[in-house]
Amino acid sequence: MKRLFDGVPADAEAEERAWSVVGGAYARREPVRRRRSPVRPALVLAAAVVAVAAAALSPPGRAVVNAVRRSIGIAGAQAALFKLPSPGRLLVSGSGGTWVVAADGSMRRLGAYPQASWSPHALYVVAATADVLAAVEPANGHVHWQLARPAIRFPRWGGTRTDTSIAYLTTSRLHVVAGDGTGDRRLPPSASVAPAWQPGSGGTVLAYVDVRGRVTILNPDRGIVSRVSRAYAGARDIAWSPNGKTLTLAARGEVVLFAVATGRARALPVAGVRALAFAADGRLALLRENSVTLFEHGHLRTLFAAPSRLSGIAWSPNGRWLLSALPQADQWVFVQTLGARRVLAVSHIRRQFGGEPQLDGWAPSA
Amino acid sequence: MAAERRERALVRDAQRGSAEAFEQLFRSHWPRAYRAALLVVGDAAAAEDIAQESFLAAVRALDRFDRRRPFGPWLHRIVVNRAIDWARARALRRETFADAGADSAAGEREPSTHARALAQGLAVLQPEQRAVIVLRYLLDYTPGEIARLLDLPRGTVNSRLRRGLDRLRVAVHEERP
Repeated sequence: MKRLFDGVPADAEAEERAWSVVGGAYARREPVRRRRSPVRPALVLAAAVVAVAAAALSPPGRAVVNAVRRSIGIAGAQAALFKLPSPGRLLVSGSGGTWVVAADGSMRRLGAYPQASWSPHALYVVAATADVLAAVEPANGHVHWQLARPAIRFPRWGGTRTDTSIAYLTTSRLHVVAGDGTGDRRLPPSASVAPAWQPGSGGTVLAYVDVRGRVTILNPDRGIVSRVSRAYAGARDIAWSPNGKTLTLAARGEVVLFAVATGRARALPVAGVRALAFAADGRLALLRENSVTLFEHGHLRTLFAAPSRLSGIAWSPNGRWLLSALPQADQWVFVQTLGARRVLAVSHIRRQFGGEPQLDGWAPSA
Repeated sequence: MAAERRERALVRDAQRGSAEAFEQLFRSHWPRAYRAALLVVGDAAAAEDIAQESFLAAVRALDRFDRRRPFGPWLHRIVVNRAIDWARARALRRETFADAGADSAAGEREPSTHARALAQGLAVLQPEQRAVIVLRYLLDYTPGEIARLLDLPRGTVNSRLRRGLDRLRVAVHEERP
């Protein structure tokens, strides 16, 4: 029996592939250093903290802090996120890990993953660290499987209830792996833009931006490229309309809408768009430097202008609310998009999530 | 003894930031870690991922690792537990819950007849039985050490070994020409 076991082959190529990942992770790790004199720096730091706190808590100091907060944030913000203004579950991730926020405001941390996104029906979450991709349960963070890959970015899960796939980028390549973590494939190099699965394609059609800035639509299972656009400079984001008929690109100085059936492209002259998000009813939100613009019924209109830079965008599942973040003010801002215009702001976001979170999606309730 | 001292020195140097020491640790433990994972999950690609993730876990926990303990059992515990989890995991390719079906233990990269017979023999066992057999016959742990490694009662390890070995012997002899 022992002889049988000793005859099992090792795999030298696998060893080299693994070393490239593991050695890289070791090189990036920061060894714990023994502090030579922990008392003095701590005393200096404590003194500095006390001085700043005293200044901030004194009446003139507090006035300065409040004035700064008013100038970059929304006045009258709630002190904490007590509940979401609309039903659903919000997924956020960042240096404080990945969190799911329920409509009643309860928060659950799924793990120390700085990136995440929902599975197509929000039954699972695909989360990633720099070198691990994992499928986790949104209810409790239970890990179903994980894959070690170098420099993982932009994991995106697509497909139907019966067959799903996950696309993600590594250092320079696009990858696709089945929803059960098997069959990971390396695809062509990609620009640093999140890939997007076409809704209604059953997880068989994927759009990505290649390294030359060309929007490419392909079937990764069959290796068939169905569309390649001309090259666009400064590509930042792509998004599919909910019916899967239109693919949208945010590029330098314009937003381009591709009709997938005909291949025709329509450019909207909107500069500075950093992110795109479709509501379930087909309205398109464009995140710009300090504002959110809506494209609906063929027209552009500014929905909301902020006092400082906005970051991230997420529609509520019913399309009534749009969420964005004001990192400089440490606030989230919820804007009602239907009916009367209402703006709700929430402060102290970093404290609640252990760091600045990015908005990864607002899914229907479980 | 000399080997243990050398390994302790490598762990210490790796904790202090020596990439060379860490690479030596990786090279000396990779083959057994990979083969253990391969024999438990029966899938070469999955085994590669499991062994790789186990080393990544080791990197993350390296600073907390107690140098007085041997590195191998610590790593093997991670590898085997991850391999068992993988083998048990339900397929998420279907987003609705569905049974993944029987595990296939036919590796993709077994060129020898012996190894193929072994993989086919292991395929009939439960992942937990495969794990104790791999720990006993590939990694040479005693039943007592396996019990400590997997947090199992000694009797459970012995019964899994006995039943697994009986089934494996039958399967291997049936499969061999």
